[in-house]
Amino acid sequence: MYQDYAYLIVGLPVLAFVLTIFLGWRLPKGGGFLTVLATFAGFILSFQIFREIYPNNEIVHQSMHWFASFNVGILIDPLAIVMLLMVTFVCTLIHTYALGYMEGDPGMARYFAEASLFTAAMLGLVFSDNLLQLFIFWELVGLCSYLLIGFWYRKPSAASAAKKAFLVTRVGDVMFLAGIVILYTNMVKLNLVLPEGAYLLQFQTIYDSLALIPPDQLTWIALLLFGGAVGKSGQFPLHVWLPDAMEGPTTVSAMIHAATMVTAGVYLVARMFPLFYAAPDALMVVAYIGAFTALFAATMGLVMFDIKRVLAYSTVSQLGYMMAGLGFGAAVGATAVGVSMFHLIGHSFFKALLFLCAGSVIHAVATNDMREMGGVLRSMKWTGLTMLAGSLALAGFPLTTGFFSKDEIIILAFESGAFGFGWIPYLFVILAALLTAIYTFRLWFLTFDGEPRSDYHKHESPWIMLGPLVVLAVFALFMGMPSQGAFYDYVGNNFDHFGVDFEELAYIGGHHVDHPYVQKPLIFWLLPIIAGVGGLIIAALFYSRWKRFDPSMITSEKDPIRKILLKAYYQHEIYTLWFAEKVVYGLALVSNMIDLKIIDGAVNKISAVLVGVGGTLRKLQTGVIQNYITAIVLGLAVLLILIQLATMEVAI
Amino acid sequence: MIPLVFYVLLASAMFAIGLYGLLTQRNGIKLMMCIEILLNSAIINLVAFSAYLPNVNGQVFALFAIAIAAAEAAIGFAIMIALYRVHGTIELDKINALRW
Repeated sequence: MYQDYAYLIVGLPVLAFVLTIFLGWRLPKGGGFLTVLATFAGFILSFQIFREIYPNNEIVHQSMHWFASFNVGILIDPLAIVMLLMVTFVCTLIHTYALGYMEGDPGMARYFAEASLFTAAMLGLVFSDNLLQLFIFWELVGLCSYLLIGFWYRKPSAASAAKKAFLVTRVGDVMFLAGIVILYTNMVKLNLVLPEGAYLLQFQTIYDSLALIPPDQLTWIALLLFGGAVGKSGQFPLHVWLPDAMEGPTTVSAMIHAATMVTAGVYLVARMFPLFYAAPDALMVVAYIGAFTALFAATMGLVMFDIKRVLAYSTVSQLGYMMAGLGFGAAVGATAVGVSMFHLIGHSFFKALLFLCAGSVIHAVATNDMREMGGVLRSMKWTGLTMLAGSLALAGFPLTTGFFSKDEIIILAFESGAFGFGWIPYLFVILAALLTAIYTFRLWFLTFDGEPRSDYHKHESPWIMLGPLVVLAVFALFMGMPSQGAFYDYVGNNFDHFGVDFEELAYIGGHHVDHPYVQKPLIFWLLPIIAGVGGLIIAALFYSRWKRFDPSMITSEKDPIRKILLKAYYQHEIYTLWFAEKVVYGLALVSNMIDLKIIDGAVNKISAVLVGVGGTLRKLQTGVIQNYITAIVLGLAVLLILIQLATMEVAI
Repeated sequence: MIPLVFYVLLASAMFAIGLYGLLTQRNGIKLMMCIEILLNSAIINLVAFSAYLPNVNGQVFALFAIAIAAAEAAIGFAIMIALYRVHGTIELDKINALRW
């Protein structure tokens, strides 16, 4: 029965948005409790729906006609319900935390209004039953991301970061839209006879007609949709906006740029997995880009000193893992969706935790720079310990959530290599796992261990902020083990509900599913553990109180590699200074010339001719009455003569 | 009785004189006088035909036309005086402030 109220999952946050934006400034704490309540109600509702549909393995599908051949609808299948649960749960905790974190900010009501709108849009994106509706919510979360990154809009860096995020994701969004358009035209060409209540862009219809669309078209559609995911999920080369997005409040970074919105791209690829599966070339692109991003972002995370930036690069890197996990689906089939989604869910717990801990530290210390921290654990026990839990999970320390989710992706990478899809992604992800452990514990040791390196403010955050941290820490540590198997079963078999035949799709894609069992050597099982624990030890040797080496022993200010990493591979120089200011500006100048000289020129010439002719003809109007009278009299005379002649001729 | 054609000839002659004046003169007063001549030639026609047709309608119209011509002359001269006050002349080709 709860599923009849599924629309309230989005409806309540929308209501909270309307209330807080209009009345928030009159309410205590900017009406933030409304946002918390609405999101929490969404969580309860999602949980009840989950309890209804899980035992019998059902799905919820409601839809109504919208206009032309489109509909609006709600689709809650395993893939969507796990996202709904995660988003509502994490957002509830982050909103609660924000009640403490945003205390005293004059824009509090605006913050909670935009946060509610974001929550609503994200939930709407997750349970859309068709691609068009998904795209609309996709744009809406992009807008909220823009608004919240630029929350402190008086700060020039925040304003420009917001603009950058909006423009860079727009590149992806345009590709996404193009993908939808190509998919739609292909579907129209099929002249399908749709059953009652089915619409062209509904996922069910798309899955059903994959076999009928030409394979080369499928590859293009898949690549374009992946382009959208690249923009939203910060994959190389469109990841540049994500580190800059840290200009927003830390709660925003935790909610939008770590836990929920950036995973929308992964969710899109998972949702369209059958389409990608029928286009294995596109899926290999996903795998390579994901694996490359995982390594590429991890290297930059190694050298940053801004605590939030390290976490941002870490997010990019982990999103790369999720994408790569989906990409390996080319080798292992739909299980990849379960594996990747498990990492997504686990990651959102521990990354939200890490960001909130970082926020708690920043709240107390009032700086982002880790060089000015050190020894914070002494004054902030709870924050430090919960952050340790998050770091362990992120580094993939054995038996934490991250261990179960990330290692499974590494296993997929190995299998994908063994089945002949190339070993490079495996190399990337295993190296990235080592780097992840190193930068995570570098962050933790630099912040919480050692001696204070500046005279910062020493106090623990209030309990309204610590409570969510503790809850998230419990999930980050202990969620993985009990739920892993059931999760893979539940989400991995998601597409059975739609009757997707993966063997047929594999046949279209020109690859086959049943590979022989690959003997995995012992070292392979140990490698991820070695990477995780080894990274911890390396970081401890360099940065903790048990320090044996100094970072200056292997690198220095002049080290070219370090410089490249600190400059983030000169992406700013390449993208902004070279590409935007030279190439795009040059093109803009040329187009401006064409516009001014040719298009405007033609218009100006025509109008100049007309003005000239008019100026000449105007002289006829002399303003002298006699001239007019002469004209009238002469005209009348001619007319009379003509009439006379005419009547005479008639007479003749 | 004077034949109708004499009246028509007189009216035509007056019309021609008035039209000639209208086309050649520049002085506002002269132009108004020419317009009066044109008007009177038309009235002569009206009265003459009215008398020969045995129908008084034409003569009634003539009276109306004279009355309205008087009003028109009053307004016309008022405009001329106003023009003279502003421009110091009633030579109409000198008054060209609004011309290109």
